[in-house]
Amino acid sequence: MDVGRHPKIELLAYSEVERVDGTVGAFDVTIRKKARYVDESKCTGCGACAEKCPTRVPDPYNEGLGERKAIYRYFAQGIPSTYTIDPDACRHLAGLRAEKEGADKSKIKKCGVCAKICQAKAIDYSQQDQIIHRQVEAIVLAVGYEVLKPEGITEYGYGRVPNVVTAIEFERLLSASGPTAGHLYRPADFVGKKKMPEHLPHAKRLAFIQCVGSRDGRRSIHCSGFCCMHSIKEAIIAKEHDSELDAWIFGMDIRAVGKGFEEYRLKAEQIGVKFVRSRVAEITKGPNGLPIVWYEDTRARRVYSREFDIVVLASACLPPKDAPLLAEKFGIELDSFGFIKTRPFAPFDTTREGIFVCGCARGPADIPESVAQASSAAARVAQVVLQEARKVAMQ
Amino acid sequence: MIRDKEHHVLVIGGGIAGIQVSLDLAEMGFFVHMVEKLPSIGGKMAQLDKTFPTNDCAI
Repeated sequence: MDVGRHPKIELLAYSEVERVDGTVGAFDVTIRKKARYVDESKCTGCGACAEKCPTRVPDPYNEGLGERKAIYRYFAQGIPSTYTIDPDACRHLAGLRAEKEGADKSKIKKCGVCAKICQAKAIDYSQQDQIIHRQVEAIVLAVGYEVLKPEGITEYGYGRVPNVVTAIEFERLLSASGPTAGHLYRPADFVGKKKMPEHLPHAKRLAFIQCVGSRDGRRSIHCSGFCCMHSIKEAIIAKEHDSELDAWIFGMDIRAVGKGFEEYRLKAEQIGVKFVRSRVAEITKGPNGLPIVWYEDTRARRVYSREFDIVVLASACLPPKDAPLLAEKFGIELDSFGFIKTRPFAPFDTTREGIFVCGCARGPADIPESVAQASSAAARVAQVVLQEARKVAMQ
Repeated sequence: MIRDKEHHVLVIGGGIAGIQVSLDLAEMGFFVHMVEKLPSIGGKMAQLDKTFPTNDCAI
């Protein structure tokens, strides 16, 4: 919130860095400000346009579990609150493109409803990407990470067995601002339906599968760090929704490393969350169309199978998808995992002087750690920028 | 701390790390340009329902 209001922060949302020239103390950065087709200075964020827009597309903010319109706000409380037209989904922009390419005019369908409804006259279909330059003395990369989409782990049936979701999808299912308004429904009961069906059954049995794609010799060997805690948190919140609900966490071990973390795990145990020491072998579709988890309980030394309403995969924290491109643009190196490379004694310096990194871009980190890293990186930026300024002043 | 001239820095990414580093630098007196590729800032944390350990709302 404060970022949007701060007099010393210029927010360039919906923008990407194209290239970086220069050196520490004097970088010239080329930035592409993508066309929103909505005038930021005029849009009041009232939402009348999205209400009338006839085009529905899967909503990436809700991980595709809900829908949004072709003109949208990324999420309700988003900053800036300006609406944006998705150029791939909007009928009018598609029509204009076809017109430009010389298509048969009688076949071109145009819409233009949002421009008609907008009282602020903020819709501008002719808006173009803008190239802007900024002169800066240092750069911080806080580009985050990628959540593994576990289709490739075929034995877990993601995308094939109904009601198998990733943890971030489950967060959207739990959320009051999500597609179910906070009711814990099974996604297969409503995703893809035109209207949310009435009187859906609530999910009563949840399974959380740990280390999906992490600590796995066939995929990423690294521990993603935060998944143990987010599975415990999701189990606790689900039980807060419904204390009768059954929540099982399947994992090799629980890594509750941090102040208060072990106490949180104990709290989960006390309210009845079950921890099973195991590595789940397979998830199959059962006769009721629900997922069945096959696992060996290594304490009992027996193989079991059990039916659940929703299976939540704690999928791995991977380097950002465009990390190699980013490395090229910024002239920095990546480490053997594909995250941005740092040195043990300079944990926030990249391999290029004056460019710093913090958060998950340099490796898995939970929220408190990302915040601590960000403050450390800020201190490091101050140190280097002021040193450089002093050097220049001495000359 | 910074009296003589305004120092400009660029932060790429508007998630929790990018927001924190920008606020810290701005509070120190730097001028921060923040670039976010999505239409609004917040990052992955804005997708979370509630956050550990206090179970407070993420936004």
